[in-house]
Amino acid sequence: MKEVTKVTGTPINRIDGIAKVTGKAPYSMDHPVKNPAYAILFKSTVAAGKIQAIDMTAAEKAPGVIAIITHQNAPKLNVKGGLRGGALLQSPEIEFFGQHIGIVVAETFEQARYASRLIQVTYDKKEPKVDFEKLAGQARLPKDKEKADARRGDVQTALRQATYKVEEVYETPIEHHHPMEPHATIAEWNGDHVTLYNSAQIVNGAQTATAATLNLKPEQVRIVSPYIGGGFGSKGGQWANLALAAVAAKHVNRPVKLALTRQQMVNSVGMRQHNRQKISLAATADGKLTALAHETTTHCAINDEFVEPCGDCSKVMYDTPNSLITYRVVPMNLILPTYTRGPGKSTGSFALESAMDELAYKLKMDPIAFRIKNEPDRDPSNGKPWSSRATVQCLQEGAKAFGWENRKSEPRQNQQGNYWIGYGVAAGTYPAHQRPTSALVKLKRTGDHVAATVELAAADLGTGTYTILTQTAADALGLPIQNVKVNIGDSSLPPAAGAVGSVGAASYANAVNDACVKLTQELVVKSGKQFFVRPTAAQLMRSEKITDYQTRVDSKPPESAEAYSAHSFNANFAEVAVHQSTGMIRVNRFLAVTGAGTILNPKTARSQIIGGNVWGIGMALTEESVVDPRWGNFVTRSLADYHVPTHLDIGHLDAIFINEKDEHVNTLGVKGIGEVGIVAVAAAVANAVFNATGKRIRELPITPDKVL
Amino acid sequence: MRPFTYTRATDATSAIKLLAENPHAKFLAGGTNLLDLMKEDVERPTALIDISDLDLNDIKPITAGVNQGGISLGGLGKNTDAANHPLVRQHYPLLSQAILAGASGQIRNMATNGGNLLQRTRCPYFYEVAMPCNKREPGTGCGARDGINRMHAIFGWSEHCVAVYPSDLAVALTALDAGVIVRSANGQQRRIPIADFYRLPGDEPEKDTNLPHGELITAIELPKNRFANQSYYLKVRDRASYAFALVSVAAALETEGNTIKQARIAMGGVAHKPWRALKAEQMLVGKEATEANFKLAADAEMADAKPLTHNAFKVELGNRSIVLALRMAVNGGKA
Ligand SMILES: Cc1cc2nc3c(=O)[nH]c(=O)nc-3n(C[C@H](O)[C@H](O)[C@H](O)COP(=O)(O)OP(=O)(O)OC[C@H]3O[C@@H](n4cnc5c(N)ncnc54)[C@H](O)[C@@H]3O)c2cc1C
Ligand code: SF4
Repeated sequence: MKEVTKVTGTPINRIDGIAKVTGKAPYSMDHPVKNPAYAILFKSTVAAGKIQAIDMTAAEKAPGVIAIITHQNAPKLNVKGGLRGGALLQSPEIEFFGQHIGIVVAETFEQARYASRLIQVTYDKKEPKVDFEKLAGQARLPKDKEKADARRGDVQTALRQATYKVEEVYETPIEHHHPMEPHATIAEWNGDHVTLYNSAQIVNGAQTATAATLNLKPEQVRIVSPYIGGGFGSKGGQWANLALAAVAAKHVNRPVKLALTRQQMVNSVGMRQHNRQKISLAATADGKLTALAHETTTHCAINDEFVEPCGDCSKVMYDTPNSLITYRVVPMNLILPTYTRGPGKSTGSFALESAMDELAYKLKMDPIAFRIKNEPDRDPSNGKPWSSRATVQCLQEGAKAFGWENRKSEPRQNQQGNYWIGYGVAAGTYPAHQRPTSALVKLKRTGDHVAATVELAAADLGTGTYTILTQTAADALGLPIQNVKVNIGDSSLPPAAGAVGSVGAASYANAVNDACVKLTQELVVKSGKQFFVRPTAAQLMRSEKITDYQTRVDSKPPESAEAYSAHSFNANFAEVAVHQSTGMIRVNRFLAVTGAGTILNPKTARSQIIGGNVWGIGMALTEESVVDPRWGNFVTRSLADYHVPTHLDIGHLDAIFINEKDEHVNTLGVKGIGEVGIVAVAAAVANAVFNATGKRIRELPITPDKVL
Repeated sequence: MRPFTYTRATDATSAIKLLAENPHAKFLAGGTNLLDLMKEDVERPTALIDISDLDLNDIKPITAGVNQGGISLGGLGKNTDAANHPLVRQHYPLLSQAILAGASGQIRNMATNGGNLLQRTRCPYFYEVAMPCNKREPGTGCGARDGINRMHAIFGWSEHCVAVYPSDLAVALTALDAGVIVRSANGQQRRIPIADFYRLPGDEPEKDTNLPHGELITAIELPKNRFANQSYYLKVRDRASYAFALVSVAAALETEGNTIKQARIAMGGVAHKPWRALKAEQMLVGKEATEANFKLAADAEMADAKPLTHNAFKVELGNRSIVLALRMAVNGGKA
């Protein structure tokens, strides 16, 4: 048998690519179930108050209606079970506009929707708290200990003494995740066990939270989520719709399909909150930072708190003797905000990296040189050494590849036809973590043919989990990739971390690798032989004539990693063209340079990075969810109003990975790329807009009216 | 959706009859607007008469009558076909540009010329049945008047409605003095000048147009003109494609030497109808086609604008857009 060439680190195509483009990959609603009924949620049309009465007479008589469930007849659920956002039909209280107040189950989706519109609800209305402009002043310290004021040195004195400083406020609006696959569930009971086909970024988390909410044991709930049509954080923690699907199915004693409409997505599954960030920077004349303060004011739900960690980048990016990171939050009658791609870092880096650009301009320093000048040799927040840090390399290699030397240091110096051209740079970071994950590897031999099945309750958000795990297992077992089958996305498999916070690749790949190494070791022992060159598991299966063998590991991050501060780092470069008359902006070129340790597959990694870049460009230029401050409803409820970038908005994209071997972070040296791709994107674009036009826009998105 | 009956019409006469009989019936053409509105419970027809099989797709030269030498677009022709037809591209590039500036490739493939003219406003309060809206439900109030109105009107609005009309196609048609050919239940065909087709909201914002219920748009007629080499459709929007206009300008000039003989300017995204910029046009006739004159014309038109809370930018943007569109027009589409 000839050696199998290693595939880890090579750009193989997605394992699931063909199934997806041919429509064969089943998403949540595609799983076949017998005789399903269809459920639709109906919503509150006030933002605060209490339901007085619900008149269902007409709805109950409507064609096809099987059941209507409201707080009056819903089973008792555990509201602290771990599902986010409330809205579990447990009381008449209304906490936000669009809150679910009932379920209609009917024979078809349209019958359910029609009946839901015949329901008349009367409310005791209260004055809603929805106007952030008016309420920001009442913001208080968050309850979350992580968001306590973090102070080093004396920022105020340093600011007072400095000649060169920036003190500005940067605003980022509410954004929605809007994955292409809206949140949707099929619930099917079998006795007192329920199977939920529901896409989940954290398969085991969805299982335990739903079980607890339904007052069941985890093993009574099975989550099936082989494919996820995007999530971006909104399918990390799960929401009421998941449990309500199970409630409806139980109620009608039939499988139930419950999908949210696009319009319902805006107040059902979280959002990125509006952040008001004040950045204060001070520096010496030669560009050494003396103070950095990052003070965030935001909002959360009326009865629950979530605060994006906007100050995280400011904690670790630059060396400064004086630092202050604070958060203040005000409860409002809006849905609970949640993790949204690059949580805190994408928004926080917009503020920090815009301010860095402003200060570099005042100092008359090149913004790259200014950043390099303030490069910290250790993590300033905890004094730990970096496991690896490629910021300087990212900036320098990026500058070369991008042609940074062609940038004019003064705005309005680069004109092409009716357009001002500008270049911008920004640097960012996202922490790298490995989380406990189990994996089961099974080998089967038929003649000379050895095949492996790898199983774990991991998630593939469309990012490449199937592919990288196939590569990892193939190499670790000595098999070609065709002989490896990866089963994930099912809570009945060994428990795994979530595909959240950029922990997926590191947690899953290390667990699979550990399982394959362990299995090979066990086969060596089983053979009773000594080997000069260790054979692969595949070779051992053949030489020892074993037909079936399997092993499982519960993999954990190495304890030695604790001593280091581990992050992915990046630097982004944008070239924009701003129309002189209309203010319309086009990103001509965008380059992301990333240091993220071992890159398991350069093709899926590139897709991850440019996908993050595109969303970052959307954050910079187009995306905004707007609330009517009188009623608390979103006025941007469809993809015609909530603008994500189109092909025409995006010019040439390029991604470069720094060749980085991280010896400390984990066995495979994987740091994660899912989140970092969106970090420091909006700032690079905003800085380029300044370089083009001389206009500093501190409020996203940068729409034409702001540039006029 | 509310329950409705569905009939597939085979000829125009019976389709019109079916519609005229039921005040709550609607024609269904491409469905790209009507079906969305039905799903949102905004439109609630009790009967749909599907007219997509009617043989009204032709694009052909007009060989007789007042518009001889012009062309006629079938009312059920697809937007894509209209935009790409050689006669349109050659003689009315303005129209082709306007259509291609709207919606997306997929939607234009479904959308018909008649349906496009009758698409309804994108005002978010109109689309959300939990909100007040005089256009959807007369007497409930206007959600946008004191609400979020960045996308709304700066010309011709009333206290009852501040919505803008969304079509790009109709803005070009307005600049081109098109006529809408409609047929009524008694079999009569008439021509409504585009300027009379649309209306301002006044105290009846529920009426988008002056087309009575029960009439079918069979064609759109474009009169012959000499604008083909000097016209331009400029659309300013929040993203490069697939977004409604913040402001759009259809500009067309006929010049002799450098003197403007005729000028046509229509604006989108600023009013309850395509806004014909008559003041600007009058300023230009007989003048030299210069940047300074374009600016004077733009100033004259925009002086009457009455912005709302969030759309003051449209006044400056409209001004600049008129100037830019005229400049692009005289330069044959180049800046
Ligand atoms: C996301 C999105 C973005 C869009 N962006 C743009 C844009 O940027 N610019 C733009 O101009 N448009 C845009 N559109 C609108 C699109 O152009 C219209 O939806 C389309 O033109 C409507 O044509 P239709 O044939 O599908 O009409 P339908 O939806 O079938 O009908 C619309 C209305 O016209 C009536 N009707 C249809 N045909 C006739 C007829 N022959 N006689 C009498 N009444 C008739 C129907 O009864 C109905 O009331 C967008 C649409 C969407 C969904
Ligand atoms: S502007 Fe017109 S369409 Fe919009 S809410 Fe007011 S009345 Fe309704």
